[in-house]
Amino acid sequence: MASSVALFVPCYVDQFFPHVAIAALTVLERLGIKADVPEGAACCGQPAANAGFAREGHSTIARFVDVYAPYERIIVLSGSCAVHVKQHAGEVAAHGRKVDTAGAGVAERTTELCAFLHDVVGVDRISGLAATYSGRVAVHIGCHALRGLGLARPSELQVGPFDKVRALLGAVRGLEFADLARPDECCGFGGTFAVGEPAVSTKMGRDKLRDATTHGARAVVSTDMSCLMHLDGLARRERMGLPMYHVAEVLAGTAGAR
Amino acid sequence: MTQRSFELPVVGAGKRVDHAAAAEAFNADVARTDWHDASLWFVREKRDRAASAVPDWEALRERASTIKEHALTHLDVYLMQFEENATRNGMQVHWARDADEHNRIVHGILAAADARKLVKSKSMLTEECGLNPYLEERGVEVVDTDLGERIVQLRGEGPSHIVMPAIHLRKEEVGETFHDKLGTPAGMADPNALAGAAREHLRKRFLAADCTLTGINFAIAETGGFVVCTNEGNADLGMALAPIHIASVGIEKIIPRVEDLGVFLRLLARSATGQAVTAYSTHIHGPRPGQALHVVLVDNGRTRQLAREEFWRSLKCIRCGACMNTCPIYRRSGGHSYGSTVPGPIGSVLTPGLDLDRYASLPFASTLCGSCTAVCPVKIDLDAQLFRWRQHVVESGKVSLVKQVAIGGSTAVLDRPRLFRVAGALARFGLRLLPEPLARRAAGAWGRTREAPVPPRESFRAWYRKHRGGST
Amino acid sequence: MSGAEQSARDAILGAVRAARPPVVLRGESVTSAARMVGALGTSLVDAFTGAAIASGASVTVCSRDEVGRVIEGAVAGARSVLSFADGIPSHHAPAGDLHDLADLDALVCEPELGVAENGAVWIASSSDRLRAALFLAARVVVVVQENDLVADLHAAYARIDVTAHPFGSFVAGPSKTADIEQSLVIGAHGPKALAIVVVRA
Repeated sequence: MASSVALFVPCYVDQFFPHVAIAALTVLERLGIKADVPEGAACCGQPAANAGFAREGHSTIARFVDVYAPYERIIVLSGSCAVHVKQHAGEVAAHGRKVDTAGAGVAERTTELCAFLHDVVGVDRISGLAATYSGRVAVHIGCHALRGLGLARPSELQVGPFDKVRALLGAVRGLEFADLARPDECCGFGGTFAVGEPAVSTKMGRDKLRDATTHGARAVVSTDMSCLMHLDGLARRERMGLPMYHVAEVLAGTAGAR
Repeated sequence: MTQRSFELPVVGAGKRVDHAAAAEAFNADVARTDWHDASLWFVREKRDRAASAVPDWEALRERASTIKEHALTHLDVYLMQFEENATRNGMQVHWARDADEHNRIVHGILAAADARKLVKSKSMLTEECGLNPYLEERGVEVVDTDLGERIVQLRGEGPSHIVMPAIHLRKEEVGETFHDKLGTPAGMADPNALAGAAREHLRKRFLAADCTLTGINFAIAETGGFVVCTNEGNADLGMALAPIHIASVGIEKIIPRVEDLGVFLRLLARSATGQAVTAYSTHIHGPRPGQALHVVLVDNGRTRQLAREEFWRSLKCIRCGACMNTCPIYRRSGGHSYGSTVPGPIGSVLTPGLDLDRYASLPFASTLCGSCTAVCPVKIDLDAQLFRWRQHVVESGKVSLVKQVAIGGSTAVLDRPRLFRVAGALARFGLRLLPEPLARRAAGAWGRTREAPVPPRESFRAWYRKHRGGST
Repeated sequence: MSGAEQSARDAILGAVRAARPPVVLRGESVTSAARMVGALGTSLVDAFTGAAIASGASVTVCSRDEVGRVIEGAVAGARSVLSFADGIPSHHAPAGDLHDLADLDALVCEPELGVAENGAVWIASSSDRLRAALFLAARVVVVVQENDLVADLHAAYARIDVTAHPFGSFVAGPSKTADIEQSLVIGAHGPKALAIVVVRA
């Protein structure tokens, strides 16, 4: 293979938010990281599994393991997908071999984009990208990225504070942070929850948007396009004029350029 | 006679709880939802402040979790040790396999003494067993003395929260109930005045009671004693005066040693209400002179849960309610929407074990955000258990994917162009393979309040093939 | 135990044995977890005072000579006082049935210790009258020695013997409730006031 790094673009990002994947690829390339985007595995299996169809979703995540096993590092453009792979890929034996650590290996070598940029690349090199952004944003770290991957200290936990996403965005000149009343409350997407419990899902999303705008945010920046798909859907229906960007877009300098 | 304005769970009754529908009805009143949500979030914030005052709070949680797992994996030993020591202390220990047996034992004790005036302090276990109606049908006057429990009892409702039973009620509603049932002045809504009226009303009953029933927060195997925690002192008023004291407890509440109480009492109130400790943490090691003291150990499905490798850790629960206070869904749907004695995240991992069909919707009343897991003082892996229950629900055939998607509610029907756009977006997503009813429902449920994502000219893969020469 | 209950007992214990998950060990001693010793940020008596006030109690720190006067002040206006404290006499205390204590104005007693992390005092007794009065009296006055203050509950449990009496309670502040719209009401069913007198060493 040409590269030891792969970028996994989740199904809904591929279909609806290609500009986010392009931005992610751009950021990696500017950092001198050539990432492959291999064909053959469009989905990590999370939607099926979270809906209770883990058994049916098994072949999906098995295919993921097959396609991504050759790579030393797998960067996932979604916190929830990354967590799903890390938690469940180990249950898969690639190629149906009985004793197979391919799944466990993939789980171990999988990381989410922002975690990768913070932990492996380092904030200093991100500063070197000299990205700029003008305005105040509300940062929303998806719950899986937050509590599943440790992208920041969750407000429940009594440990020393840290926030990898803020650290990354702090390297973007001109970007201001809105301080939300509930910085890490769930946005209400939750996969099939969004259509299974639409009343609560909608209420949670509206409350998050109100928190953001009340505290002066003029845009929402997130680690997860699934969250933003839901929040953006609500914001556009209510004509709030509140743009939403993935962290990658801000770092690539394409936020607001669409 | 206690009547219920919502159905209490009855195993095997077959009527399915539809959390989504109940939540939709709850959300119809936006202002009230905001108020309910804010009330509970306030308690969550108090919990955060209290937890931050304890150095290495996370280590304390870990200790509590280990002690509970140790106790549960040696439960028979500790149960026998408790029974032996409690009996030596002068208590009478009873065993009840299920709710019915519990109720019969309790009534038997009362009937033997012809006791008919029972004052009760909070016990979720007795709610679970449906004790109140059972006793009332047999001529026992049952007075719930916890103020929140008394309020909902007077209203013929069940509690909506395991620690704050009346959290769903505004003070004006409490005022109306007290005016109706206690004769307080119409329109009186000041909490101090209302609580004062309740104090007088209940004091008479404490003094007239010929028996009392309490729950147990912690039963200590090492010494054969137990601990009852309250803020109101209501359990104590009952225990200090009544000639018969019955304490009902689920078998999972046994802890090994007295010193373990240090860990649990430091965690309990801080997690539940944000107080460092409740006003009263009463330790009972024997009856008062001339008093009959009974302990009823209850299984009622707990051994079945213990046998479940995926779910036994839910039995660590110390009933603090922190998971409810932090759950964004609980706060925006209210405890009654779960249709179970214990609602919220912990209810959603305990109750499906009792009746998977009836409670199939509960594990899906969650976004799996993990906040509950992070606040649980005994580190129950709530979000992981919710995920696992979903697999069981689907495997059992109780809920199909189609049924998982909410049917339309009372809100406006989606107009055709919008429906088309949303459905089209979903179709582009490759969901044209979905069964028609599911696609339509999903489009409807999404599109009622949200725009669909705008489909771009080309997918990322198409762009990648064109601009990066495809993959290797 | 009746035959029915014996079979219930056997059934439950049998079910537990069959269901028990693999053994989890107790692990390290509980007394190493998150101790408050050295973490209170201030003196024991100051920390205790702050926590007790937060729980709704009033606190007076005084010398041994002043105790009598302080308590007189604490029970001022009380028509009836039941005292279990050394050197403090009872006054018109109801003598008959426990129920007669319903009208008791004040109870005075001496807890074994106070806990700085939560402002609670440990009151344990075999006396039915003390126990009933503790919850029936309109107000409760307690006298605790500064030397009997400990940092946290672990320290408290190391000092007390919970089996010494059938009743013992950590009492933190007066009775209270927030069950009506989360508004704190002092004096739910139990006493409306708790006055703590800390006697300096």
